[in-house]
Amino acid sequence: MDLSNFLSYIASGTLYTLGATLIALPAGLILGLLFALLYLYGGKVFSFLMSIYSTVMRGIPPIVLLFVLYFVVSGSVNLSPFLAGSISLGIISSAYQMEIIRGAIQCVSGGQMMAARAIGLSQAQAVREILLPQALRIALPSWSNEAAIVIKDSSLIYALGVPEILRRAQLISASTQQPFLAYSAAALIYFALVFITTRLLGRLEQKLAIPANP
Amino acid sequence: MKKVLVFLISVILITTLLAACTQSGPTSVLDKIKNEGKIIVGTSADYPPYEFVDSTGQKTGFDIELMEEIGKKMGVTVEWVDMPFDSLIAAVKEGKIDVSISCFNYSEERAKEVGFSKEYFNSEDSFIANKDFTGKIEKPEDVAAYKLGVQSGTTQDTWIKENLIDTNLIKEENVQQYERVDQAALDLEAGRIDILMADYVPAKALVASHPGFQMLLHEAIASAGPINIVLPLNDEKVKTEIDKAIDALQTEGVIDQLAAKYFGE
Repeated sequence: MDLSNFLSYIASGTLYTLGATLIALPAGLILGLLFALLYLYGGKVFSFLMSIYSTVMRGIPPIVLLFVLYFVVSGSVNLSPFLAGSISLGIISSAYQMEIIRGAIQCVSGGQMMAARAIGLSQAQAVREILLPQALRIALPSWSNEAAIVIKDSSLIYALGVPEILRRAQLISASTQQPFLAYSAAALIYFALVFITTRLLGRLEQKLAIPANP
Repeated sequence: MKKVLVFLISVILITTLLAACTQSGPTSVLDKIKNEGKIIVGTSADYPPYEFVDSTGQKTGFDIELMEEIGKKMGVTVEWVDMPFDSLIAAVKEGKIDVSISCFNYSEERAKEVGFSKEYFNSEDSFIANKDFTGKIEKPEDVAAYKLGVQSGTTQDTWIKENLIDTNLIKEENVQQYERVDQAALDLEAGRIDILMADYVPAKALVASHPGFQMLLHEAIASAGPINIVLPLNDEKVKTEIDKAIDALQTEGVIDQLAAKYFGE
């Protein structure tokens, strides 16, 4: 039995895990930001729609959404398993990121919006120039939490046939009958990925901190 | 802005609806296979010795080599897709993969969803237990007195449900279902289940790799054994072609050689 080969086989799944995360997280961020703004400033209709979206998306198990997107929707749009899986993860994450950003925007005191309007900024300008720069800083700690969750949730795309870290560990576990070893290897890789990501985001947080407002 | 959004949302809804309605017409998947020169085959490579990964991460096993031979007969290359066993039938149904070879037994429920090639091998069912297991198992139904383990979605799973649970021989909570057979083996080793029901060939491999296991009984119980390749439903063209290849490999003795190589029979 060739252990180092098996371990490198598991490790080569990291590319898929990273790829899926790099699609899902930014997609979720863009959608989440858009949805949070629609929820707060889009009027009654959008606010209602967005709260439904957030409730439904956070209520459905991610694996169910993965199957729906891959098997039902991609009947006409031919998506590869990897893309379908990554996009679904992004959609699921967008609901969580929407709530993170919405909470952060609401954290910035309402008086600032009034003050901004009073000195002649439009609502869009006030959001862009005054509220968002502060809100995104407030959102960063919870966002790094979400990043860690998305990295680990990316293992779900194995159900669509994407050979990422966890699926490879399963295959090695089955063929070598050494589950402890295979899953430990997978756990170490996930740990390293999450550790590095949260560290980097922690750095970013320090760098972006507003000196006068620690 | 709002109009654009409303437009976008309606586009998304309409495509979703269309996706649910449009099914490909009566064209055979064989045309696609021949056109592209490759056949996309799904398998769940966690079931040694039928399908597993070797030390270089390549898929190998009885089913894998057999399918490669079938591909050669059809004059196309085989492109492998690994998926969990539970996903395979859905993937064939939705056309995500062309066919699937993963030690599938024929069953009537499955035959409503997908098609089957002719059988290429006969499997048996078996029960394994730890060496210190002292119970007497003379016929399959005797296992109902113990805690059972089985891989979910398999014909053994269905047999337990129909013959032991539905007939009240065993309580449902005494049957543990596992996503993969190696997980069930772990629980057997740990004593959380008493008996594991599985296909005879992988069960034999488990007994060989776990000195603490013993084979209690093996015979054709659940499905009387034939294993087949899963095909799209009602696709006679691809069935004819693959059946022809299986016939040829049988007369050439290739299947027997592969069985000797992987099962020691």
